Amino acid sequence: MFLTRSEYDRGVNTFSPEGRLFQVEYAIEAIKLGSTTVGIRTQEGVVLGVEKRVQSPLLESSSIEKIMEIDTHLGCAMSGLTADARTMIDHARVTAQNHSFTYDERIKVESVTQAVCDLALRFGESVHDEEAMMSRPFGVALLIAGIDELGPQLYHTDPSGTFMRYDAKAIGSGSEAAQSELQDKWSKQMTLREAHILTLRVLKQVMEEKLDQHNVQLAQVTKAKGFEILDEAQLKEIIDEM
Amino acid sequence: MLDMHSVPQQQPQGRQFNPYTENGGTILAIAGADFSVIAGDTRQSEGYSIQTRYAPKVFRLTDKAVLAVNGFAADGNMFVKKVRQRLEWYRHAHAKDMPIRAIARLIQTMLYARRFFPYYVYNILGGIEEDGTGAVYSFDPVGSYERETCRAAGAAQSLVQPFLDNQIYFKNQTPAAGTSFPSHLPLSTVLSLVIDSFTSATERHIEVGDGLEMYVVLARESTALQGVEGIGGVQEITMTEEGHRVFVIRRELKKD
Repeated sequence: MFLTRSEYDRGVNTFSPEGRLFQVEYAIEAIKLGSTTVGIRTQEGVVLGVEKRVQSPLLESSSIEKIMEIDTHLGCAMSGLTADARTMIDHARVTAQNHSFTYDERIKVESVTQAVCDLALRFGESVHDEEAMMSRPFGVALLIAGIDELGPQLYHTDPSGTFMRYDAKAIGSGSEAAQSELQDKWSKQMTLREAHILTLRVLKQVMEEKLDQHNVQLAQVTKAKGFEILDEAQLKEIIDEM
Repeated sequence: MLDMHSVPQQQPQGRQFNPYTENGGTILAIAGADFSVIAGDTRQSEGYSIQTRYAPKVFRLTDKAVLAVNGFAADGNMFVKKVRQRLEWYRHAHAKDMPIRAIARLIQTMLYARRFFPYYVYNILGGIEEDGTGAVYSFDPVGSYERETCRAAGAAQSLVQPFLDNQIYFKNQTPAAGTSFPSHLPLSTVLSLVIDSFTSATERHIEVGDGLEMYVVLARESTALQGVEGIGGVQEITMTEEGHRVFVIRRELKKD
């Protein structure tokens, strides 16, 4: 696809004559190599699901962390270069904490997403007050789930710093098949439990291994309990119900 | 050897620049069930001199929040300017007006940021909470704050606050057998108390007088306005169509 490499491949902040930023486009490609990640919004809350690729039987699957908490009302799932996500989530957490410190209220889902995307476009530029310079775009996409005064929301961010709100979104290697499945099956009146099951069904379809409680992870954000990652027992219960 | 007696003794001399002034005046706010009244006199003085008879101390921030600032006028004006700037930034970043609870916390962080060179001002913030109730927040110069039903600050605080404690919190009063005191008073009663507070403070305190500005913030669908149609000089200054309404009532106070 990108066999015609050119001078414009070099500088991260240099547009090609066709008006493209190759490094950003390659970063978006990097996500398509990542494990599949699904997010579904319902009236009750938002569900996040990820596939954990357990490459070796000696690997402790519980050490694969692809869903993280940003704040009590905000969660995040990732696909791509997950190490890059740590920088972004750290920024999101600091932003959320600063907001509640200064304003005594929970930050809005869109605001925290905007903050993460502001960071995503600061590559090739030294960030004020930080010693190191980010030399390349982040190679990770995020699904940011949360609840605020506007209700449950799901946002997708990519390495170009663009963000969009979705009812249901899949990212990663199986995202094309997963997204069309979500388009077929998502409905406005879905319950949270139905969203759990749809998430697992979609993941099951695109996963090579047989889905069980060790190679997937589910999380949810609800009004009552905020962000929580479901434990293996809860996960098994839902898998059995599928 | 030098003759020490012929040299005049050099005495140590201290010089100090005092960056602060006290400009007098008094502010006051009372919360109702679904409204809030924030008032202040308009005299600005320094010592025995009146600098101006009209220097507003009460400012509309949004359609649900009004801030009264008393103490050193220059600090007060700059502080209001900075709060307003932060409110605009917040509106651009979060696509909504800042709730009064958030404004209160913001004022704390702004005041405490100057912990070692404070704004020499006492702030009282009045308005409508997100749940539609009337709110009053009071601050000390370094940001300590609490939500209350009523608060007076400034030159005549010591005259006005005990009066409010008695008339609003019913301190040192006992309810008649089988009755209890209301937790919130109607707007007409509140306005009368505010006017009485300021006319009395004007009589007894040299730094209070000239003019009175009373801001009334009404919650959405509040009926508090019924029963106060008789009050003159009411001017509506609502900015948005969100439903909260802001009024200002201007009155004269004695100028001596």
